[in-house]
This record gives sequence, structure tokens and C-alpha cells, in this order.
Amino acid sequence: MCLGIPGKVTEVYGAEGLQMGMVDFGGVRREVCLAYVADEVEAGDYVIVHVGFAISKVDEEEARRTFKLLEEISELDELEWMKEVAEQSLSVLESGKNPSPAGPDQAPPAGPS
Amino acid sequence: MSIASTGLTCPVPAGDADRVLLGHGSGGKLSAALLRERFLPRFGNEVLSVLGDAAVVAVPGEEIAVSTDSFVVSPLEFPGGNIGHLAVHGTVNDLAMMGAEPLYLTAGFILEEGLPFDVLDRVIEAMSESASEAGVMVITGDTKVVERGKADGMFINTTGIGRLDPEFRPGPTRARDGDVVLVSGPIGRHGVAIMAAREDLRFEVEVESDTACLAPLVEGLRASCGPAIRSLRDPTRGGVASALNEIAASSGVGIRLEEGDLPIPGPVRAACEMLGLDPLYVANEGILVAIVAPEAAGAALEALRSQATGVSAARIGTVTAERPGLVLLRTGLGASRVVDMLPGDQLPRIC
Amino acid sequence: MKYLSEYRDPVLARSLVEKILATATRPRVLMEVCGGQTHTIVRQGLQEFLKDAVDMIHGPGCPVCVTPLEQIDRALFLAARSDVIFASFGDMLRVPGSDSDLLQVRARGGEVRVVYSPLDALEIARAHPEHEVVFFAVGFETTAPANAMAVWQARELGVTNFSVLVSHVTVPPAIRAILDAPDNRVEAFLAAGHVCTVMGWKEYEPLAAEYGVPIVVTGFEPVDILEGIYMAVRQLEEGRAEVENQYARSVRRSGNEPAQELVSKVFELVDRAWRGIGEIPSSGLGLREEFADFDAERKFDLGSIRTSEPEECMAGDVLRGRIKPFQCPAFGEACTPEKPLGAPMVSSEGACAAYYNYARFQPETTGEPV
Repeated sequence: MCLGIPGKVTEVYGAEGLQMGMVDFGGVRREVCLAYVADEVEAGDYVIVHVGFAISKVDEEEARRTFKLLEEISELDELEWMKEVAEQSLSVLESGKNPSPAGPDQAPPAGPS
Repeated sequence: MSIASTGLTCPVPAGDADRVLLGHGSGGKLSAALLRERFLPRFGNEVLSVLGDAAVVAVPGEEIAVSTDSFVVSPLEFPGGNIGHLAVHGTVNDLAMMGAEPLYLTAGFILEEGLPFDVLDRVIEAMSESASEAGVMVITGDTKVVERGKADGMFINTTGIGRLDPEFRPGPTRARDGDVVLVSGPIGRHGVAIMAAREDLRFEVEVESDTACLAPLVEGLRASCGPAIRSLRDPTRGGVASALNEIAASSGVGIRLEEGDLPIPGPVRAACEMLGLDPLYVANEGILVAIVAPEAAGAALEALRSQATGVSAARIGTVTAERPGLVLLRTGLGASRVVDMLPGDQLPRIC
Repeated sequence: MKYLSEYRDPVLARSLVEKILATATRPRVLMEVCGGQTHTIVRQGLQEFLKDAVDMIHGPGCPVCVTPLEQIDRALFLAARSDVIFASFGDMLRVPGSDSDLLQVRARGGEVRVVYSPLDALEIARAHPEHEVVFFAVGFETTAPANAMAVWQARELGVTNFSVLVSHVTVPPAIRAILDAPDNRVEAFLAAGHVCTVMGWKEYEPLAAEYGVPIVVTGFEPVDILEGIYMAVRQLEEGRAEVENQYARSVRRSGNEPAQELVSKVFELVDRAWRGIGEIPSSGLGLREEFADFDAERKFDLGSIRTSEPEECMAGDVLRGRIKPFQCPAFGEACTPEKPLGAPMVSSEGACAAYYNYARFQPETTGEPV
């Protein structure tokens, strides 16, 4: 639970005792209550917003670190393996039949390990 | 306005001179004044001015196309247009989707008591402009007024009549295996603009309704590809997903879409993310989907892109004989999922 | 969209899938707790990519689905009152009560409004002093701070025509209930990233230790979920049972302390019934006594509401992960999104709706036993 999306704080102001802000979600703007991130957030920061409240400030350092980690384990080359799964997925839906089960004697899809 | 004082309460209080009253729908002097002062000057044409109980027009050919639609949008005015634009475009476009050249429109109004005249004027102005642009004549109409609270400002019904070309008859049953699915422009703008304009969700977005007359795009397709255009549909309520499901069901074919090829503007995407909506189900009022024979797909795209309303036209999928009635979407990750009809309106969600 | 689109990158997703398949030495059973995660898994077809290496069981992480029938019926009763404007998140509008839903109440003249934020419901109250405004405060811990703030502000601003109908549930007791079930197959959990953004992950450490299950706090995009699965599988293979944090860009161990503070000022832990599961002690939030004026259950007379659940609905078994939706005899027949028997067929992230909308044509939905 659930729907929280990241947005950029463009303005911070007070309203009726609450810290509020305008947040831009890539072209959509909405007023968001910043009360729960008031001490850490200023214009230019990214926040995760759920039902009109910022519940966290996006830790850009963490995001960068984990992304680098992900990029290291990813092979940025051919997508043949992906295509295979895609074709199979489509053909399974189209034929409405079971795909042949992968038994112990069948090799897993080829790909760099 | 001078009212002789007789000690009776005047049913036309001076303070209400700027808005619609129940009397405007009763067929008497107020109704006549409304017609004469507000509708006729904007719709004026020789047929309408006769003000007969029925309009008499010549319609060429043995078959004609007729379409009717009612418009109940709230708010009445929104970024990119108002209910008047929708009322003309909606019906004109339905005619165009059958390959017909729109000729005439009727316009029936149900006005809510208290509707300000300046709003009414803007709506009629929009209808008049849109009708001229589409080359259609508003030939007859009707106005009723209901009590405050019984109509969201106003409801409009338009019925359109169009001329058919026997050589150009796109229809929902004509899609077949191997055909290509095209869309003439970006998806989701109208629905998002409406949601933003309504009070309850309170967000701002630089997205305007795409309301537009599609007849010129259709004419371009007819001229360049003729019968290779199998089906045309304007994806209004229910969005692209519903329109394609209807064609798939009517034609007994399957449709396969590529998620990466769908033209969805950034702000539409962002608004949908925020509200938990799927752009494929969001209403459009100024784009069409076209099912085209594969050998004509290139020419069709070119014909669409050569016009201002079609510059972002794109190929979004194909038609197949497999699993008739099923619309599948291949996601960015490569798996496929079903794109079904929704039971009702899409609702914003928090989960 | 920044911090969103990157986590949908197909190449990264594929690499993670390969890592998972290469790491799992035998089939593993995992549960994702949060409905939003279920939504992504089913919508993106992630189970297909995972093949037999990982079986994702969908947990009861849909607060809409677990809202007790009594609360729905109370909501319908209030919404039908002519002096009430009933405000709700969109998710709740089609959830069936004993014999109706909010959309039908609206059709019959009840004033029902969809809002995006609880503060918007408070605004409606301020704009309509002649009406009572009741807001359906549903959710997990993620939404509690927002709902708490609406009540807090109402009191601060002296708004007297605003109240909330509360149906808040908390996650850790549900996980415990699942782990305690004698037929439990779940070996590791993906904890809900936004719940933990608010609450942190301290509460999960005793669960991981006591039951010996890895728990990975996970986000919602495909790359997040696949990374979370990878981390959980790796723990299982290495014989570890710890709490790890995949969603580090949003979650810290202590969570959001100002949010927790206001929640504890406004709410207190109560026993709560979970629709389809039954009562779980101390698993819900209720308004504290000093906020009684804002509690719709105390403000209005909701006495004699009789509830009745359709017998064929197997929502409980689905929510506990005992069966997959297509194994319910009513699935797709007596129970569809158009005429749902229970909440999981209505909520966009309910497991039944997710299967119906996205996966019902796939072979594993043809009824083979799990």
C-alpha cells in the first residue's frame, strides 16, 4: 500500500500551520503536504508522495549507489534472451495451450552467467 | 428593463437578466427571444432561419449516414474547449469514422435554470465555429429548461447526417489478419484535461483537450488509401483500449499492441501515474485509430502526418487471426498481457 | 519520469531475472505483501520470467480487500444519508457490501465524492458547513499519517462537521498470522516499501529472527521487485534470515518519525477484523478517545446494520495465499469485475481482479492445482 510516486518540490510555503509545497511529477503539478519531511526538504529535492503527502525524501545518493550496482550486474548487450521469453509469452497467450514444462533435463535459456 | 408595477411579483426579476430561467424553455416570448438573440445569430443559415417544425434538406444518394450523441460533460468549460466543441466534433467524427462526409447537424439543448448567459454564448459560439470549420450546417434544434439541479449546467444532443461514398466504407467488421493498427495522435489528453479541470482531484497539468474535427484526416486517408482503410474509430469514452476491443469483437480478430509504440505525452503519463490510471482507457476527442491493410500502412501514416492534427501519428500494433476478440499488449519488458474492456469508468486509486 | 522510469528498464530487469534463475538451487516460495507489488507482478508478467524458480504468492496487502464487511456496510449507510457528503478514495467505490456499493448509493441520490487526499475531504467540510462530511479512512500504515493529519487539522481549525470512518490495518500482525498458519509455504517476504517508508523496518526484525524468514523491504517498479526477489532468494540460498532494504532510496530503518509521532497522537492500536481472514488482535488503528468527535462510528448511530457475505466468496483463502484466484469456483463465472462477490475482484490490486484482467488467458489459469 502503495501508490506513491516521486516528484520534484518546486516551492515550499506555509498554510494554516502546515508546511506545504508544490510538487512537479514530470509535467503534473499538485499541492502536497510536506509536514512529514519539513526539516529535510527544500525546493529542488525529490519526494515520494502518497495521497497528497510527502512520506519521504528521495535519497539521491542511495538511488545512485543502488543503480550503479544494478548496472554492474547487467549486461548491456543483446536482448536475445528477452526476445525468446517475449515470443513464448505471446505464443502461449495466443494458442491458449500450456508451454512445454521445463524438466530437469532441459537446459535453462542460454545467456551469459 | 421596465416592468409595470401592478403589485404582483414579477416572474422575471430584473436581477436574473444574465441567466437562463425556466421561462426560456416554455415556448413563449422568452423562448423566442433566446432563439432570436442567442442561437440564430450564431448558427444563422437559410434552413435554420425558416424555423419550421422540421428542417427540409436535400440529401444525395440512396444511403445516408446518421449519428446521434449526447454530451453531458462537467465542467462545461475546460482547457482546450467547451461542451460545444465536443457536441459538434463528437457527432461529426462519428460520421467521418464511417467514411461519411458530414453535412448537417441538429442541436437539442437541455439547459439548467440559472445557467449564466455568458457561458451559454461561449458554448454556442464554439458550436458555430466548429460547425463552420467542419463544413456542416446546423439545420434544426430545440431548447428545454429544467429546474436548478436537474442538469449539470447543460446537456446537448446533436444528430448528424452525412453523405456516403460507395467506394469508401470503413466499418468495425472489416479488420482482418495482417492488418496494421495506427493511431493519429497522442493518447489520453482529453480525459486528463477534464480530470484536472474538475474541482475534486486538484492537480494542474499543461494538457489541453484534443477536441478536434477528424473529417480532414479521414479525407486524407480516403484520398491516399481508399478501401485499404478497413476500420476507423474515435476512441472517446473508454479510450483506445475500448475502441480496439470493440473492433476485435465485431471483426472476430485479435489485436496485438506494442507498449513502447503508444504515443503518450509525458504529462499524461505523469497524471496517470499519480492517479493510478491506465492511459489506454482515458478518453480522447481528437484522435482516431485506423485499421489499415498492411500494404497501405506507409501511405496512411504519411497521409495522417501531413496534417497538423496528425503529425504524431504512429503504428501501434497489428491484427491477427489468433484468439479472436482478444486485445493483447506486449510490455516494455517483453511479456504480454490482456487489455480488456473495463466494467465501468476508471477510478483514481491510492493502492 | 525521474526515479520511476529507470526502474522499468528492460535490460536491468532481464539481468536480475537471470541472476535469480542462476541463484535459486531449488524452487522457492515467496510472498509479496503489498497489493501494489502484486499489481506490478501480474501486469508486467514477472511470474512468467521467473518460471519455476520462484513462486510468488500474493499476500493480503490490499487494504481495500481486507476492509471488514461491517465497515463497508457502515459506509453505505452513512453515504445514503441526505445530510452527509461521503468522501472516499476511488478504490472503495465498487467494493461490494452486503447488498450494494458506494456507486449504487450514489446512483440512488447519495452524495459520494472521490478525493485524492484526505485534506481534500476536510476542504469539502469547510466549504459545506451545512453538511456533515464523512471520510472513509482506509489503508495500511502508509496512509495513516495522511488520515491522522486530516483529523488533527480538523481539530486545530475548529471544524465540527468533519468525521472519519476508520478502517486501518497494520502489516506485521498479518505476516505473523500467515507464518502461524499450519499449511504455510512462504519461505521469504517482500515487505511493502511505502508502509516501511513510514514505519521503518524495526518491527520486522523480530519476525525474521523468530520465524527464520528473510524479509526484504521492496519497492514497486519491476526492477525493484526483481531486485527484492533476488535479495530474498540469495538469503535463502545462504541460509540467512535477515531484514534487508531494497528500497533504500525511500526507506530508512527508523522510517518517518514525525509521521509515526502524529499517528500515535491521533490513533491507537485496536483489534481488527480482516475481511476473509477474521479478527487479528492489535492489527488495526482506531481513533483515540480525545478525537471521539471526529469518529464517525461514535458520531452517528450505526447500531443495527446486519451484514451477510456471499457464501461462494473465497476471498479469505486468496488473501492468505492458500489458493490462486482461478482456483475459486466462482472465479470468472459468478464473480467478475462487473459483478464481484468479494473485494479482491474489485480492487485494482486485489489478486482476483489482477488475474482476471491480466492473466486469465494464460495456461496456469486453467485450473491446475498449485
